[in-house]
Amino acid sequence: MMHDVLPVSFRGPHGHLLFGTLHRPAAPAGDLPAVVLMSPGVKMRVGPGRLYVPITEALVARGHTVLRFDFHGLGDSEGELQETMLADVYNHIEAGRYAGDALAALEWMRREQGHRRFIVAGLCGGGVTALYAAQRDPSVEALFAIGITVTLSSDAVMPAAYLSNAELVNRRKGYLRRLFSLRSWWRLLTFQSEFGVIFRSLFAKAGKPPKPPVIPAGSALTPEQLGNLNPMFAPAFFEFLGRGGRALLVFSEKDREYGDFQEKFAAFHADRLRAHAPQVTEHLVLGANHVMSLREWQQETLAVLDRWLAGASARG
Amino acid sequence: MSETPFYFPRDDARLFGLLHRPDGTASRTGFVLSHPFAEEKLWSHRSFVSAARALAAAGHPVLRFDYTGAGDSSGYAPDTSLETHLADLAAATRALAAQVPGLDRIGLIGLRFGATLAALTMERAADPATGSTLPAALRTGPLVLWDPILDGAAWLQDVMRADLAAQLASLGKVVHTREALTARVLAGGIVNIDGYELGRDLFASCDRKDLLDATAKRHAGPVLVVPIAPPGKLKPRADLEALAGSYARATVRPAEEQPFWREIKQFYGKAPALQALTLEWLASA
Repeated sequence: MMHDVLPVSFRGPHGHLLFGTLHRPAAPAGDLPAVVLMSPGVKMRVGPGRLYVPITEALVARGHTVLRFDFHGLGDSEGELQETMLADVYNHIEAGRYAGDALAALEWMRREQGHRRFIVAGLCGGGVTALYAAQRDPSVEALFAIGITVTLSSDAVMPAAYLSNAELVNRRKGYLRRLFSLRSWWRLLTFQSEFGVIFRSLFAKAGKPPKPPVIPAGSALTPEQLGNLNPMFAPAFFEFLGRGGRALLVFSEKDREYGDFQEKFAAFHADRLRAHAPQVTEHLVLGANHVMSLREWQQETLAVLDRWLAGASARG
Repeated sequence: MSETPFYFPRDDARLFGLLHRPDGTASRTGFVLSHPFAEEKLWSHRSFVSAARALAAAGHPVLRFDYTGAGDSSGYAPDTSLETHLADLAAATRALAAQVPGLDRIGLIGLRFGATLAALTMERAADPATGSTLPAALRTGPLVLWDPILDGAAWLQDVMRADLAAQLASLGKVVHTREALTARVLAGGIVNIDGYELGRDLFASCDRKDLLDATAKRHAGPVLVVPIAPPGKLKPRADLEALAGSYARATVRPAEEQPFWREIKQFYGKAPALQALTLEWLASA
């Protein structure tokens, strides 16, 4: 599907030139909010498997203008990242490295394109960046996130310590499947396996409710900080909801982000979430992986998005 | 140095390109970079950006672009074939020639499948039957092949591992074997490769052992063939030596790099060894 598309660039808060593409509907449908798609992880503005391409086309078909762009140091944009490990890059994204770039994109859309209302969206780390922008920019009305991550990627260093119960059960199934794999035994016997994860997965129980973290006496740490829950996530999420923002959170069944969200965030904030229930729509795509690589998973996500947007239009 | 994004046409397709222009007087040798297939493009993207900027800093105009069904270009993977890829690359060379008039030489630099496409394009440029549709500046341009795909059939079987991995993750087992996937795609169905749908046209046109072989080549420009392997893992590559031997002026220089076109634990903002040896070789090519 072809629509009007324009290569664009604008300056981020640190002076980097950020590149993107602006997608405009042939016939803009009234005063719909513009959508800014935040790049996920280290993938560029089209997303893994070009996931952002069908999302963009669906939004444009509904009459929304869409901007997708690269954060500094990634994609085509200026800047250099100093990290040498992916987990460190992810960690910085989850901690808000690109909130400034996201706000600059919104400001550019306001200044250069005349938009006044926004939906911010993204996959995984892009969803977190979108949330930080939604928290700070009052012109953001809604957040659409796929597989939003509520943790910090420090678990890449100590995986055994932070996996959710659901993920441990999932891992155990994988280990059992590979019980007769020579390659797996080779990894085990040559100490390449993650022994801590294997050990913990043996004792994980499906459906087991999360156990609240134990806070040592005299500790100044919160329960969230004792786990790998991102301490910035809940304040950002509830501040956004507190000023009336709406959120569509789509998760994939075969993605650890779903277990993390349920066990590490939702379980601890059930009361606050209940208070904002009308504003938050959750949807789980059965069988899907983290990046929604199959067309049917993408179509289900787009159908949910379409209904959510239609509901918003109906409410005016 | 300036970087300008733009779209250029290839038949009905709308291809995204980004032109890197050096400051001051530019070299009269420009380059088009040819990216690898599917998700390999995204993982290696930043290394391509870094290489393009280094080339521009050395005075060369450089065009990076997205093939049909990749990146910001129009179309979807099932729409593509070997011919559409070659037509895209040909259009990119014409776009560079149009954007930067007066180039004496246009070089091609490609990674994996992108390298194969670069080599095939150079042969078309040198062939009197097909060369007239391509810029003459290609005929003596440098050709840099970073770990090119030679055996297309073996490569496609390897590519389809992504579908098997997705089945394992989603269904807990492999329901459709590689043989079943091959039969499906040849019957007109699709196979999902990390979100990209591999269709019959691309599969059938690349499903051959001699996608890029060691028969004598026409290309008269200098050629650099680079086997890539992680540090300490480099081994002699007879296939790439034979490929180099099929050119009049080819050099083989290995590079120690992690497989930065796949998901690895390292963040690859650039491929330092590969970039350095390429620039060093180009300085004398």
